[in-house]
Amino acid sequence: MSAAAAHTPVPEHLREAPLIEGPQSDRTLTDSILHPVWRDPGRGWWMALAVTSTFLGILVLCIAYLLLTGVGVWGNNSPVFWAFDIINFVWWVGIGHAGTLISAILLLFQQGWRTSINRFAEAMTLFAVICAAIYPGLHTGRPWFAAYWLVPIPNTMDIWPNFKSPLVWDVFAISTYFTVSLLFWYVGLIPDLATLRDASVSRTRRLVYGFFSLGWRGSARHWYNWKWAYLLLAGISTPLVLSVHTIVSFDFATSIIPGWHTTIFPPYFVAGAVFSGFAMVLSLLIPARHFMGLKHVLTMRHIDNMCKIILVTGWMVTFGYICEYFADWYSGSIYEVGQILVRMLGPYAWSFWLLVFCNCIVANLFWFRSMRRNLWVVWIVAALVNVGMWLERFVIIVVSLHRDFMPASWGMYYPTIIDIGMITGTMGLFGTAFLVFLKFVPAVALAEVKELRYETELQLQHAEEAH
Amino acid sequence: MPQIDPTKPRFWRSVEDFTSGADRPKAAHGYPELVGREFPVGATEIDGATRRDFLKLVGLTAAGTMAAGCMRNPPERILPYVRQPADIRPGIPLHYATSTSLGGYGIGLLVTSREGRPIKVEGNPDHPASFGASGTFEQALAYGVYDPQRGKHVKRKGELSGWKSFKADVISRLEAAKADNGKKILFLDGPTASPFDGWLRKQVGKTLPEAKFVTFTSVDRDAVFDGTELAFGQRLETRFDFDKARVVLALDDDFLESGPDRLVHARDFARHRVPAPDGAEGAASLGGDDAKTRPSAGEWMNRLYVAECAYSVTGGQADHRLRVRGSDIICLAAALYARLVPDGAADVAALAAPYKDSKWVAAVAKDLSSRGAQAVVTVGTRQPAEVHALAAAINATLKSEVVEYGRPLLLDTKSGSSTLKDIVAQANAGQIDTLVITAWNPVYAAPSDIAFADALTKIPNVVYYGQFEDETSVHAHWFIPAAHDLESWGDSTSIDGTVAIQQPLIAPLFDGVQRGELFGAFAGMPDSTAHELLREAHSQTSADMTANGGFEPWWERVLQKGVLSPTPPDTITPTLQTAKIGERLRPFKFERIEGIEINYVVDNKVHDGRYGDNAWLQELPEPLTKVVWGNVGMISPAMAEKNGLAAEEIVKLTVDGRTIEVPLFVLPGHAEDSISLAIGYGRTGGEAIARGVGSNANALRTTSAPWFGSRATLAKTGKSDRLGITQEHWAMEGRPIALTAELADVKRKHLPMVEEQNGPQPSMMDEWPNTSPEGYRWAMAIDMAKCTGCNACILACESENNILIVGKDQVRRGREMHWLRVDRYFEEVDGSLADAKVVVQPMACVQCEKAPCEYVCPVNATVHSDEGLNDMVYNRCVGTRYCANNCPYKVRRFNYLNWHNSLQGTYEMKMNPDVTVRARGVMEKCTYCVQRIEQARIATRTENHGVGRVIRDGEVVTACQQSCASGAISFGSLHDPKSEVSKKHADERAYAVLWELNTRPRTRHLAKVRNPNPELA
Repeated sequence: MSAAAAHTPVPEHLREAPLIEGPQSDRTLTDSILHPVWRDPGRGWWMALAVTSTFLGILVLCIAYLLLTGVGVWGNNSPVFWAFDIINFVWWVGIGHAGTLISAILLLFQQGWRTSINRFAEAMTLFAVICAAIYPGLHTGRPWFAAYWLVPIPNTMDIWPNFKSPLVWDVFAISTYFTVSLLFWYVGLIPDLATLRDASVSRTRRLVYGFFSLGWRGSARHWYNWKWAYLLLAGISTPLVLSVHTIVSFDFATSIIPGWHTTIFPPYFVAGAVFSGFAMVLSLLIPARHFMGLKHVLTMRHIDNMCKIILVTGWMVTFGYICEYFADWYSGSIYEVGQILVRMLGPYAWSFWLLVFCNCIVANLFWFRSMRRNLWVVWIVAALVNVGMWLERFVIIVVSLHRDFMPASWGMYYPTIIDIGMITGTMGLFGTAFLVFLKFVPAVALAEVKELRYETELQLQHAEEAH
Repeated sequence: MPQIDPTKPRFWRSVEDFTSGADRPKAAHGYPELVGREFPVGATEIDGATRRDFLKLVGLTAAGTMAAGCMRNPPERILPYVRQPADIRPGIPLHYATSTSLGGYGIGLLVTSREGRPIKVEGNPDHPASFGASGTFEQALAYGVYDPQRGKHVKRKGELSGWKSFKADVISRLEAAKADNGKKILFLDGPTASPFDGWLRKQVGKTLPEAKFVTFTSVDRDAVFDGTELAFGQRLETRFDFDKARVVLALDDDFLESGPDRLVHARDFARHRVPAPDGAEGAASLGGDDAKTRPSAGEWMNRLYVAECAYSVTGGQADHRLRVRGSDIICLAAALYARLVPDGAADVAALAAPYKDSKWVAAVAKDLSSRGAQAVVTVGTRQPAEVHALAAAINATLKSEVVEYGRPLLLDTKSGSSTLKDIVAQANAGQIDTLVITAWNPVYAAPSDIAFADALTKIPNVVYYGQFEDETSVHAHWFIPAAHDLESWGDSTSIDGTVAIQQPLIAPLFDGVQRGELFGAFAGMPDSTAHELLREAHSQTSADMTANGGFEPWWERVLQKGVLSPTPPDTITPTLQTAKIGERLRPFKFERIEGIEINYVVDNKVHDGRYGDNAWLQELPEPLTKVVWGNVGMISPAMAEKNGLAAEEIVKLTVDGRTIEVPLFVLPGHAEDSISLAIGYGRTGGEAIARGVGSNANALRTTSAPWFGSRATLAKTGKSDRLGITQEHWAMEGRPIALTAELADVKRKHLPMVEEQNGPQPSMMDEWPNTSPEGYRWAMAIDMAKCTGCNACILACESENNILIVGKDQVRRGREMHWLRVDRYFEEVDGSLADAKVVVQPMACVQCEKAPCEYVCPVNATVHSDEGLNDMVYNRCVGTRYCANNCPYKVRRFNYLNWHNSLQGTYEMKMNPDVTVRARGVMEKCTYCVQRIEQARIATRTENHGVGRVIRDGEVVTACQQSCASGAISFGSLHDPKSEVSKKHADERAYAVLWELNTRPRTRHLAKVRNPNPELA
């Protein structure tokens, strides 16, 4: 920062909004962030939990029925052998990406604004990956074998998984992703758990939080080790942001089906994942900050930044579509061109045009500052982006499969009530897990926010001294 | 296995036997009550029952017969085809020759039996009508014999009775009938040409000299005989030798798919459906250097003209197809007659008028007359006698060598609805005391204007002998369950006069009574077994018998071969009576039916309804519409557009005030202003599978218009029915998938489309390593020029490979399990579907050398064998379905649910023990019948004193190949350049479907060839 620039007063509208609003002290931050954990959850929380756990119950019933009867309870058929199962899988995995991106990459880039939202986003990642992980196992015809035959366990039959198959790569990618995400989330949580332990009034809570805080005492040595561990995990997570969805996209890209067999898939799947992940963070964060009284740490500036990321990734996704269709057309292959035409004009054309609307058009509202600051607009756009990203997977999976090479084998796909039950059910699982998370651990990384406060105050002091 | 006490009976021959038994097992408590109440009059129990309840019932009743395990050898001695029964070894299949008949004519069979269970039906290579091939009906016998819905007990007025009680009743009635020589006893039989039936009738005649035998079927051949009577003055059997035909005109005749000689027709016709002869005779083929010695391709290949209303299998093979209403055919025939038969024009002037100036007729007439003796006109049995007479006259004028006449083989050449009319009249007049019905289900099959069921109420004693408790059995006083063809002794005569023996493969599963025993009871021989009667019927000394050293050695030989020594068919050269034809036709005037004409067709699957309970056949896609489980009203695209009708819409179809509701299907190539509907559906009998499937066309048919000729009105109902269709998309979308070529282009080797689907395929990956010690590279070739799309291969595959049925609802969801499917594409002509052409393409796993399915499987469940097979390891499969997604041919089938669950009791006996029955959640597909390859390997390995030898070409025959009458499928190893399949792969019509994907399919298709008449181009 040059001296001249520092002397010129910054106009009000260009001045960066603070990341923590109002005069705050460690005490006020601790009180306000831990308040949702200590207070009685209230009727709203219980009602929300009732709704989400009902859907969770539906999920359990659907899974039981599925296991007892077979995957025929879904609408999958020939030629559409994969449908809602894999759509939901890819969608949930994609949603998880925002968490890792916020935790790891933004940390490495030292983006201060990530601090208030990372806990939230990491939790979302974990739950989304859990929701996603339900599908690859259950979608198989014989999950009781799939559960361990896809894993390279030495066995007397001397049969290994087929390492050429992207589904085996998936197993590694998803399990690594889940493990690292869990560790990252948990390691970040340790100082806050210790705070909870120290502030606990009941013995049970003290014991439970004490157990999970791993004997944290807040010594300088602890902080030093913790910082390093957190940074290392961020380093490990960073390639995962790219690798997981790249490998998920290989499920399609390595096949020979028109609409799947595309080299653009890895980057555009990753962009799409970040796109949908941020949309999901916004969808959850906007109501949460309101009901939990966390507006001073989850500020409009956070929302504004996330909207900008949605705008950027939305265009990356759009560019991906353009590249894909150009390559299909340029290939001259009647099968590839046929696939473009069937997406645009075929029986599922509605899904394609709706996806274009949701993913390529709606997010352009975020060019305007006023739109980024209108919470209703932001929330609706975020919801539409999530719908759009689900439709993108629908178009890729169902529409590509329903009309591939041989017209004689073409056929339509219709979901069954169990398909609907499974998707709403996983949303119930996600919601339930989230509500429990909001109740039992601080939704905002307390220790990091405090650190952020010191850092910003320090910066201000330095600025004033320089002045 | 349950422990069986050898001192106790292992079977109960009847329910009386069972219920009276002191040793009734406790486990079966409640069994007699259940059995007694199952399927009472009207089969009310099934009405309200769920499918689950129904299956429970089936399971319980079947339990009684299953209790003793699998071995159910018939009590009499039968002889295997090649091996003596003493050789029975578990795991080694035996093959027995037997026969069946349809429409009265016999077809020789060779049935594979495993540990006493018949599991697979093939044609008998020694029988001229099947020559080793088989059709869908023959294949489906293997399901029919185990059908748990079959009638199980003799019943009197719906109450349980027994065969002994029935015989006692017959004896007392015979006593009474002796007074009037059995004048009031009438036997209503189906058409039959069986010598045994003839002998039995004679025996009945000895005790009841005035008892009458009449014949009824709703798909009669009366018109053939009436036609020859009109043309030649005598009732003659008409046979065709398509091997001699080069130009064929089929007038509403599906000769490739229906009729007693359909397999022979398919073989002979297909032989000339290619540009040059196959095999040794075609070694020089088109590419040969010695152009002088090779046959001229144009002369070798035949040309087919078809005129019909709804697309038939034969119509799909046509080079030129004229779509006309059924009632127009007579005009078409008359127009040809006018052109071809000297002095014929005047006699048929009125009839021929509509087609007098037809370009089509002129060109066909010219083509027919230019080919003379090698040309033929055939007429379907749906057409009236006059059309048959006109065609006979044309053929006689052409001096056609293709057609041949002989003495009728059927015991009765009148079997139409007039028989039923007579019975109704006699019943109303009280002239019938006892009516013995052995014809199939006349109450259902009767035309709507004959109140046959009402007439039955006026007969004091109606005996119905049938396989199922159906619409007729509820009106009968006695129901006698018929033994299945594979459970009975008997014989049959095929259309060329060959007599074949029918021997049982298994003792009757459900107390079925054999036909011979039923007639034996009326012939005063109630205690003779069918076996004894059959031997007696054939005991007459013949030259052949003497040559073989007397009856016993001769009989053993006959049983082994399955056929009696063939006697050359007697051929009659009749004289044409054009004057008589003219006399009959002169007063005829053509009156066009205004509005919509209704056109009934015989179903390719359930025939006249008799196979309605056969789930294999029900789930078989109709060859042209690809509809399963039900019939549809077929209309042309233009008619649909004109009337604002759409496929799957249910319409109310009214004919003469009678109404049924039927879903529509828009069929390209259908005649305008008519609607076609298959008969045989809408059953209401006790058969759980047949019940309620489709709509009953017999409710509209009348004696005066049994096939066409009545006006129908269509009314929308606002309802629709989602049909079970195995192929939803008819168009090829300009993709090079099922290729066709014209003969002229094949001759001048101008096949750009085929060439594009051939050629070197560079690959970044290693070539497929052939590590088989013998070098086998299994491969298949499918000649689309020969394939008619008759579906026999689908059922053969289903039977061989334990493929399960899934039901209409699952087919709607696109989950049918057929490993082999026959794709049917319509090709637009001049941008319109009105006269669309058809091309059919059998498609099963093509066993790619670079298989897209293999690399994506995460658990190595589908892997390549060293002989090039793309193997499925069912035990390893976890069902990710990735392989099926990545299969560009979409030939993989997934067990979405436990299909096996619905198959209980007897059906389990049908399973081929060489093939795994796939569990729920497992992928499956064509394996090139790997079990047959292994059988050949095992057989050859021990030869040469244990040294073994290489499997020779032709020693492995896949199930589909074996059934195919037209010889469209070849299988063998490519490592032998002389093998049939190697030659086919080298054929210039051969190509790899989806060649550009570089999957290197081992199955190659040979482009279909069309031979159009340049004058009609």
